[in-house]
Amino acid sequence: MHDKSAHAARHRVPPTGFIRKYIFSTDHKVIGEQYYGLALAAVFIGMVLSWIMRIHLAWPAAAIPGMQLLSKNGAPGGVLTPEYYLQLMTMHGTIMVFFVLTTAPLAGFGNYFLPIQVGAEDMPFPRLNMLSFWVTFGAFLVAIAAFFVPQGPPLSGWTAYAPLSALGEVAGPGQGTGQVLWAVSIAIFCVGQLLGTLNFISATLDMRCQGMGLMRLPLTVWAWFITACISLTAFAVLMPACILLVLDHVAGTSFFVPSNLVVNDQLQPHAGGSTLLWQHLFWFFGHPEVYIAIVPAMGIVSHVLITNMRRPLLSHKAIIYSMVAIAFLSYMVYGHHMFVSGMNPYSSIAFSLPTLAITIPSTIMVLIWIGSLYGSKLRINTASLFALGFISMFVSGGITGFFLAQPSLDIMLHATYFVVGHFHLVMAVAALFGIFAGTYFWFPKVTGRMMNETLGKVHFWFTFVGAYCIFMPFHYLGMAGNVRRYQAFVDDFMAPLMPVHKFITIAALITGAAQLIFLYNLIHSRFWGELAPQNPWEGTSLEWSIPSPPPFDNFAGKLPVVYHDPYQYDIEGATNDYVMQDSPASINSVRGEK
Amino acid sequence: MSQSDLTMGTHLSVPERSSPFAMPSKKLAMWLFLIADAATFATCLVAYGFLRNGSLNWPTPFKFFPTVVNTMVMTFILVTSSLTMALGVRAAKMGDQDAAYRWTMLTAAGGSIFVLLHVHEWMDLIDEGVRLSRNPWGNALFGASFFTITGLHLIHVMAGIVVLIVVGLRCRGGRCDAGDVEITGLYWHFVNLVWMFVVPLVYLLNVSK
Amino acid sequence: MVLTNRQDDRGAPYGGNPGKYLLVYFGILVLAGLQFAIAYQQVNVTAALFRMFALAILEAGLMVVFFMRLGAENRPFVTWIAIVTLLVLTIMQSSWPDSYRMERDAPPNDRSPGYRTGPSQ
Repeated sequence: MHDKSAHAARHRVPPTGFIRKYIFSTDHKVIGEQYYGLALAAVFIGMVLSWIMRIHLAWPAAAIPGMQLLSKNGAPGGVLTPEYYLQLMTMHGTIMVFFVLTTAPLAGFGNYFLPIQVGAEDMPFPRLNMLSFWVTFGAFLVAIAAFFVPQGPPLSGWTAYAPLSALGEVAGPGQGTGQVLWAVSIAIFCVGQLLGTLNFISATLDMRCQGMGLMRLPLTVWAWFITACISLTAFAVLMPACILLVLDHVAGTSFFVPSNLVVNDQLQPHAGGSTLLWQHLFWFFGHPEVYIAIVPAMGIVSHVLITNMRRPLLSHKAIIYSMVAIAFLSYMVYGHHMFVSGMNPYSSIAFSLPTLAITIPSTIMVLIWIGSLYGSKLRINTASLFALGFISMFVSGGITGFFLAQPSLDIMLHATYFVVGHFHLVMAVAALFGIFAGTYFWFPKVTGRMMNETLGKVHFWFTFVGAYCIFMPFHYLGMAGNVRRYQAFVDDFMAPLMPVHKFITIAALITGAAQLIFLYNLIHSRFWGELAPQNPWEGTSLEWSIPSPPPFDNFAGKLPVVYHDPYQYDIEGATNDYVMQDSPASINSVRGEK
Repeated sequence: MSQSDLTMGTHLSVPERSSPFAMPSKKLAMWLFLIADAATFATCLVAYGFLRNGSLNWPTPFKFFPTVVNTMVMTFILVTSSLTMALGVRAAKMGDQDAAYRWTMLTAAGGSIFVLLHVHEWMDLIDEGVRLSRNPWGNALFGASFFTITGLHLIHVMAGIVVLIVVGLRCRGGRCDAGDVEITGLYWHFVNLVWMFVVPLVYLLNVSK
Repeated sequence: MVLTNRQDDRGAPYGGNPGKYLLVYFGILVLAGLQFAIAYQQVNVTAALFRMFALAILEAGLMVVFFMRLGAENRPFVTWIAIVTLLVLTIMQSSWPDSYRMERDAPPNDRSPGYRTGPSQ
C-alpha cells in the first residue's frame, strides 16, 4: 500500500525557545552539530594530552609549565611521573577513540546528512536521537571527571587490560576511582551509541523518499548504514564487559582477576577469574570499533572525490560490497590484537587468516579510488586534498597491517612503536582526514558560508606532511625495538633512538599547532566567511538541492522525488555537466560511454 | 550526442517508496534492539561459561527442592506469560481492545509472580551466605556469575512489566496502539527466550545429583 | 514521537485459530521439561550441556518463529537478522580455547597428565 500523501511531509512546527532549539533539540541537524562540537572539544583535549606526552618522551626531565596545577602528585613541579604519563596516555586513547573517532564521522556527519541525503525531514525517532547525544555527553563528562578525582585517571590504557584494570588502587594511581569512572563512562557511551544506531539503520531503510532505491543512496549513506550495523552489536558487547569490570572493583567479584595474584607485594583477595576473558570481550568490541571509525571516512572520501572528479567511481557496487565485506570480517579478526597476550596459538592462526582476508576488500576500495582518479580532471580544493590524503594515510598505515596480521611477525612488533605507528596512520589519522574532508566539503551547507580555501590548503599541507613526520618514524623505532608505553628511553639500549623521539615531538608540536589554523578557519568562516551558494561544489545528491543552511525540516514541508542514481556527472547536454538526483530530466548518454 | 539527449520528461521510472524489510520502523527498531540485547546476554553467558569451564572447584549446590522446583515453576510461568502475550498481541491486532487489555495484564501478572519467586530465591541464597564475592561452596565466581546473569535478566523482566502495564492500560482506555502491543510482545518473548538459556546454563548445570 | 513513513506491516495477517499458539506453548513446555530431565541424567557436564543447549535452541527457535512471528516476516529481513545475529553469536565462541588454558597457561595437550585436575599452586 503506497501512501501518496507521504510526499507532503508531516507538518512540524520548529521550536522557538532557545533550549528546545539549540540544547535539547530533536532536530537531527542540531544533534549532528552537537556531536561534531563534542568531537571538536574532545580532539583538542586529546591533542594537548599527546603534546604533553611527546614533550615528556623527548625531554623526560623537563618541567611542563602548568602541569602541577592539573595534578599535584602526578606532576610534581611540572615533571610527569611515570604513572601520570600512563594516565595521560589512557585518557588520550579513550578520548580520541570514543569521543572523536566514533562521534564525529558517524554520529556527527551521519546525523546531519543521512536524513537529508535519503530525502527525509528527520530521523525516525528524534527523541531517541536527542537522548543519544545527551547520554554520550554524560559519558564524556564522566570520563573527564577522572582527571579531577584524587588519584587521577586510570593508567591501564584505553584497552583497560585486566588484571591492572580490575584490581583497584593497589595496581597504581588512578586504578581505583579513576578506573571505575572510566568503565562507567564507557558503559554509558555504549548506551548512547546504541540509541543512535537504531535511528541510523531505520532511517536508511524506512525514511527514503520516493524514488530513492537502495542503490541510489550516496556512498556516504551506505557507509553510515554499514557502520551502524557494526556498532549495533559491538557496543552491546562492551557494555556488559564494562559492567563486569565495575563489579570487580566495587562488589569484590573476580571475573578478570586470576587466583593467587601478587601485585606490589600484596596477595590479591581475588580468585578464579581470567585476564584473557577481558581481552576477548574488549577486542570483540575493539576491532569492529576500528571500522566504526574508518568506514564512514571511506564513504565521505568517496563522496568528496566523486564530486570533485566530476565522474562516478569505476564501480559503485564494488565499493558497497567491499564495505559490507569489511563489516562482516571485522568481527572475525579481533584476535589479531591478542597474538602476544598468551592466547591459544591455534586461535592466532584462525584469526590471522581473516585478518589477511580483510585486506582484500580494503585493497579493492583503494584500487577503485586510484583507478577512478587516474585521468580525471580532479578539482583541487581543500576537501579533495584531504580525501587524497586519506587514501595516502590509509595505504601507508594499511600496508603495515600485512605484517602485523601474521603472528610470527607480530610477536616481534606488537609491543613496539611499530604498532602505534600502524594504527595511528590507518585508523586515527586516516579517519581524521576523512573528518577534515567532510568538514571542508559540507561546511558551506551547514553554515551557509564558505571556508577560507587558502588557510585550508595551508592546514592540509602542514597536517599531511606533519602526520608522516610523526608516524613514519614510529615504524623505524618499532623495528629498532623501541617498546611502547614506556615513559622514557634514557637509560638502556633505546637511548640512541632519542634523536628520533625529539624529531617526532617537534613534528607533533608543529602539526598540532597547525590545527589552530583549522580552528581559526572554522570559527572565522562561521561568522564572517563568504556567503555560500546552495550548491558550491556542483554536487548531485539531495543535500545540495536545499538552501544553505537547510531549513528546519530540510525540504520545506515537501519531500523530494528522486529520479537518478547518486552520481550523474559528465552528462552530455546538461546545462552544467551534472544532473541532480531530484531533477526530472532524463539522461540518455554519458560522455564517458561513447 | 546533442542537447536532445537530455529531455525533460515524466516518463522516468520512479520506484515506489518501499522498505526492504516491510515492517514499521518501530518494530524494526525493536528487533534491532533485541539483536543488541542478545549480544549483551550472550557476552554474560559466554563469560560465565568461559570461567566455569576453566575452574576446577565449581560448586554444584542446587538441590531438587527448593531450587530446581522453583525454577520449574518460574519457567512454567514465563512460558505461559509468553502464550498470554502472544494472544494479547493477536487481540490488539484484531482490534479487540478489551481482550488485549486483559491478556497484557495477565502477562504482567505472570511476570510479577516470576519476579516475586525470583527475589524469594535470591533472598534464600543470600541467607545461605552466597554473595557476589563469595559463597559457602567453593569458587567465588559462582555467586558473581549467578547474580549477574539472573540479575540482568530480572531487570529486563521488571522493565517489561512496567511497559506491559503502561501499554495495557492504554488499551483499556480505548487508545490501544496495536503496534505498541506488538513490539512490547517482541521484547517480552525475547526476555523469556533468554530464560530458556539461563535455566540450563546457570541452574541445571549446577544441580547436585 | 515517531517520524517515519513506514507504518504499514506486510507480515502475515493475524486472525484465525489461536490453536497454533497453544501447540507451540505445549511444545516449549515439553522441551523445557526435557531439559530438567537431562539435568538428572548420569552423564558428564559436557554431554549434559550439549543436550540441554540443543533443546534451548529449539525452544528459542519456536519462540522466535511463532511467538515473535519471525516466520511471517519477509525473506530479506529474516536473512539479514539471521546473518547478523548468528555471526556475532558464533564469533563470540572463539574465546573457548583460552578457557581450557586457564589453570595452566599451556596449550591443550592430552599427553600432559592431570591437565584438568592439577592446579598450579
